[in-house]
Amino acid sequence: MARLSGTGSAKLTFRQKLLHLNWEFVLLIVLTASIGFAMLFSAANGNFDPWASRQFMRFAVGILLMLAVAMTDIRIWLRAAYPVYGVCLALLAAVELMGSIGMGAQRWLDLGFFQLQPSEVMKVAVVLALARYFHGLDSEDAGRLTNLAIPLLLVAAPMALVLRQPDLGTAGVVAMVGVTMFWIGGARLWQFATVAVAAAAAVPVGWQFLHSYQKQRIFTFLNPESDPLGSGYHILQSKIALGSGGLFGKGFLEGTQSHLNFLPEKQTDFIFTMLAEEFGLVGGVGLIALYGVLIAYGIYIAFRARSHFARLLAMGLTVNFFLYVFINIAMVMGILPVVGVPLPLISYGGTAMLTVLIGFGLIMSCWLHRDTYINKRGGAA
Amino acid sequence: MSDRIAFESTKKQAIETARTRLLVGGSLMAAAFFVVGVRLFDLAVFNENEDLRRAASREIARPTPMARADIVDRNGVLLATSLKTASLFADPRKIADPADTAHRLIEILPDLSEEVVAARLGSGKSFVWLRRNLTPRQQFEVNRLGIPGLEFEKEERRVYPHGRLAGHIVGFTNVDNVGLSGIEKSMDAAIAGAKTPLRLSIDIRVQQILRQELAGQIEKFKAIGGGGIVLDVESGEVVAMVSLPDFDPNAAGQAGADTRFNRMTLGVYELGSVFKIFNHAIALETGVATFASRYDATKPIRVARFTISDYHPKKSWLTVPEIFQHSSNIGSAKIALDIGSDDQRKYLGHLGLLRRTSIELPEQGLPMYPARWREINTMTISFGHGIAVSPLHLTSAVAAVVNGGILRPATLVEHDAKTTDGVQVFSAQTSDRMRRLLRLVVETGTGRNADAKGYLVGGKTGTAEKQVNGSYKRNALISSFVGVYPITAPRFVVFAMLDEPKGIKESYGYATGGWTAAPVVQGVVARMAPLFGIAPLDETAPDIRHAININAQPAIGNRSDAVN
Repeated sequence: MARLSGTGSAKLTFRQKLLHLNWEFVLLIVLTASIGFAMLFSAANGNFDPWASRQFMRFAVGILLMLAVAMTDIRIWLRAAYPVYGVCLALLAAVELMGSIGMGAQRWLDLGFFQLQPSEVMKVAVVLALARYFHGLDSEDAGRLTNLAIPLLLVAAPMALVLRQPDLGTAGVVAMVGVTMFWIGGARLWQFATVAVAAAAAVPVGWQFLHSYQKQRIFTFLNPESDPLGSGYHILQSKIALGSGGLFGKGFLEGTQSHLNFLPEKQTDFIFTMLAEEFGLVGGVGLIALYGVLIAYGIYIAFRARSHFARLLAMGLTVNFFLYVFINIAMVMGILPVVGVPLPLISYGGTAMLTVLIGFGLIMSCWLHRDTYINKRGGAA
Repeated sequence: MSDRIAFESTKKQAIETARTRLLVGGSLMAAAFFVVGVRLFDLAVFNENEDLRRAASREIARPTPMARADIVDRNGVLLATSLKTASLFADPRKIADPADTAHRLIEILPDLSEEVVAARLGSGKSFVWLRRNLTPRQQFEVNRLGIPGLEFEKEERRVYPHGRLAGHIVGFTNVDNVGLSGIEKSMDAAIAGAKTPLRLSIDIRVQQILRQELAGQIEKFKAIGGGGIVLDVESGEVVAMVSLPDFDPNAAGQAGADTRFNRMTLGVYELGSVFKIFNHAIALETGVATFASRYDATKPIRVARFTISDYHPKKSWLTVPEIFQHSSNIGSAKIALDIGSDDQRKYLGHLGLLRRTSIELPEQGLPMYPARWREINTMTISFGHGIAVSPLHLTSAVAAVVNGGILRPATLVEHDAKTTDGVQVFSAQTSDRMRRLLRLVVETGTGRNADAKGYLVGGKTGTAEKQVNGSYKRNALISSFVGVYPITAPRFVVFAMLDEPKGIKESYGYATGGWTAAPVVQGVVARMAPLFGIAPLDETAPDIRHAININAQPAIGNRSDAVN
């Protein structure tokens, strides 16, 4: 890391920044995304069309965006945190409003060139806003109940809107990200314990507000064999595919469960299953390891950050990324109920790809500006 | 200065805390990945695929489970089954525009009332039924409307493929699939829990024959109704049972109470002369009379304010067979006096005529008989007046008379004949003698119209005036015939009854059992016998002549039950 010494000064030239970017991190991301292209190529039975080619275009745009975000001064992001949050919340509310007026449940806005899911972008916005908030607090103040009201509201507002859609998976991710931010932010242990107990007590009450299809998913999760042709179909076929891969898999383009269309949603939420069928245990563990390295890198960046804001931001976004990976893989293996969470960088889909890359851009920005001192209101020392 | 140091140290401590927490968070994530990795290893290496595949294919191979078992006839023909349907309900809180929604629903479901539907949708409740049991096409159309708040409940609907043909027997259920009548009600719990079909004793082919023959005679004699039963004399199984007018159990709600009334089990009637079968059997069994005994039938009997007279007066002394052959009330009453009230009552009781039948139907009428069994009652009961039983009571008791004297409980559920315990009421010899008398009636007496050639039908007519408000109506008759065939070794009892038939030119104005009901039995026997492999016999063959000869006293031959 010797080449990065001296980046503590606030001013870095464009050239310096470009030089000091952690390119090995970028390489890991490109590697992971390339696995995604290969899998989408396979999902289309060996065609770039319709998925792999479009995914590649999006990734190309996304990676440029990521670099731009990384090189932007972190204090700009600090100041932008609340406005970004506000815009995202407004978009989310707009979707909710249009959804109820128009065509039933709709989770995206049509921007012409692509469809934006505000709930995805919202996750990053929540991290930004909370990071900014906790950055402005002294560590003792962070434990005071009165100081926790505002961040609670920051988490609760998007959660309520997402739950109305209703999208349990995203709401859960937002909640988990919120918990992480409180944790790193300095909330007290007993406060977490209290919330945990209250949440456990609320489960029977909340059950009554679930839609019948959501209850069905949970029942199916508990016993997928009870309805193998109905709601248990996804999980059962997914497990069969995972198992049939064996140690080394059936080979690229050779997965029968996926190519014979037993496996539903193979290009999006269930793409990990296809990978495990074609590349076996080795391929599955390899991908998990790759994700593990990315996440470890994120934690390391958080660890190295001098400012509370950068630490919070890096950890929050890393946890967000981790939750994508974990929930998706656990879901296709039947460890978690089926909720619509994509496998980041690999699943076909625009918003998730963009959000994840912007998240990585912010994490890299934290690295680039790890030694930048930021005062409470966002100025440099 | 010290403040500054204190500030620096707390700040340092805060960073330490944050970093510790970072590590804790990282460890949790590592643990989560470890769990996922182990699970992947588990799936890939300890392959549970075979179990999963089997679970999936087993599901495809398994028949669709239904909440209620099918009901089939003795040959497995479907009488009642369940279909999966969808019922439409709404959550009115989610209905944005009740009027428009109602209007669009009416186009798909025109049998609903738009006002009612709109009112229900606007009620603000959280649940309202709109219509039960939609067809798949209707469900598809409603789904295509895409209106939020309209939802379906999976249900089962009972369907009766043979409709009215077995309506009184099978019965029907309500919209919640709870049995309301017939077998559906009496065996509700068994049907609801069973995985295999419930097999009834009836044969839908015989049911059809019986219904057709009855309907023809009812039409011909302008009767208000009628009914019939075919009973297996050995097992007590009801092979067919029809009550007319009948109803379609698929639309039981629209059926009138009169059509749902089962005349064969719920109706109790004074059945008239068919009761002479029991009177003669009791007399022969107790030994108060033999075929050689003679009774004075020259003039009517006057007891108090009653007069007992004959329809076809012979105005002479009659032998016991002649009394039966010509259906003499006077002779029967005199035999009954010799039997005595106690023995009469005892034997009628043994024949099950004074209690509820054992049939598996909830619709059952109880016999009506005098509380105080006086001498006049004994005399009238001998020819079937002053006692009212259901046709099933009578049919079951006649089976006991002709099958060797054993009463077996009547049943609608198929079973192995050997497993039913019967009660010996009459001796085999009495049974044999009664068969000869029954054949005599069809060969030369009032029952000639029941004679299906070659099938050796024996039987007895019955013509009773209906009692309306305590007095008998001369032109409102219950005309019946109970037949047995083949008389040499009976297999089935066939009963037919017409309610208030009117005399026609062809019958010389008569509406008696011999003219109205006997032809039904003739038709049923002739058409059903081939189905059961009963071949027509040469009635003039010596062994048959011997078996039915009245004067062959005592019965001699190779029939084991005739040797007593």
